[in-house]
Amino acid sequence: MNKHEADQKLEQTLKQAFSGLPSRRAPGTLEARVVSELQRRAALPWWRVSFANWPVSARVAFVLICAALVAATILGGASAYLGGRPWNEAFALVLSWVHPFLAVMSSAGGLAAMLVRVIPPLWLYGGLGLGILLYVMLFGLGAAAYRTLYLWPSSAGNDL
Amino acid sequence: MRAYQDMVFSTAARLAGNETQAEDIAQEVFIRAYEHFSDLRSSVTAGGWLKTVTTNLTLNYLSRYRKRWRLFSELRSTAEDGDSDGPELDWEVPDTILADLSAEQRAAIVDAALRQLPDHQRLPLVLYHFEDLSYQEIADKLNVSLTKIKTDIRRARAALLPLLQESGGARDTLDS
Repeated sequence: MNKHEADQKLEQTLKQAFSGLPSRRAPGTLEARVVSELQRRAALPWWRVSFANWPVSARVAFVLICAALVAATILGGASAYLGGRPWNEAFALVLSWVHPFLAVMSSAGGLAAMLVRVIPPLWLYGGLGLGILLYVMLFGLGAAAYRTLYLWPSSAGNDL
Repeated sequence: MRAYQDMVFSTAARLAGNETQAEDIAQEVFIRAYEHFSDLRSSVTAGGWLKTVTTNLTLNYLSRYRKRWRLFSELRSTAEDGDSDGPELDWEVPDTILADLSAEQRAAIVDAALRQLPDHQRLPLVLYHFEDLSYQEIADKLNVSLTKIKTDIRRARAALLPLLQESGGARDTLDS
């Protein structure tokens, strides 16, 4: 019998073993749990349930208030910064920030380029490798903690 | 609810492989059913709706943890999947298994064996054999490749067979 035939035979054998299996009996506490949870949720005030279940008037009011707060914050900030200046002056003031910002970015870029030239490539590759190693170690520790603290205790519980 | 609770719990328990999780999932399923009660009360497809919601909620429940560790599982499975078709079966496949046991005895043995499989094997196997989904539908639901689904199901069957044989043999011995 070749591999494909053996696989097909195994599938048929298992299908036969699985056929007509009765459902597992639900715990007797399930119905009481569901009723209790429904009662708990029904007792919550409207602002404690999800936004989608709020009354329409409350949802509309909430959206309008949020929009008004955002607009007030933006307009208030802009008027505090620009004061009572005319538009052309205000525009020039905003533009005056652009040149220093570009200068800072250019300097940072120049510094990075200089560092790449000055530092030996071996050091750069070593630093990069060390960074990757630390990153992988962090994931490894996380995986070990997950397996130890989550997977194993739950597997042990399954055997009970 | 009483008419469907065994089906819902059973579906969740076989997929999740954990009774505590299955009870939480079943509770959430019936709460959602209550929210859609006006649609479901007169629907002839209520059972199908409940089964679909149970399956999706169970997969969501499990994927909360699965997503965080997908990197490792994919790395591990890639390393293990050197042969994309999986290993050869190195024993004779019987024509029937557990055939002389009652349905209740078979269910107990099958459920216990399913719990011993890892998630990435149990989920596609249960979806294929118990929920009657195709390989492609399972691949879409679990968001993994079709090849991996086929390999995982083959390996799950290969892992399940000796577990069922051992348990069936032990049950026969106890009964005699």
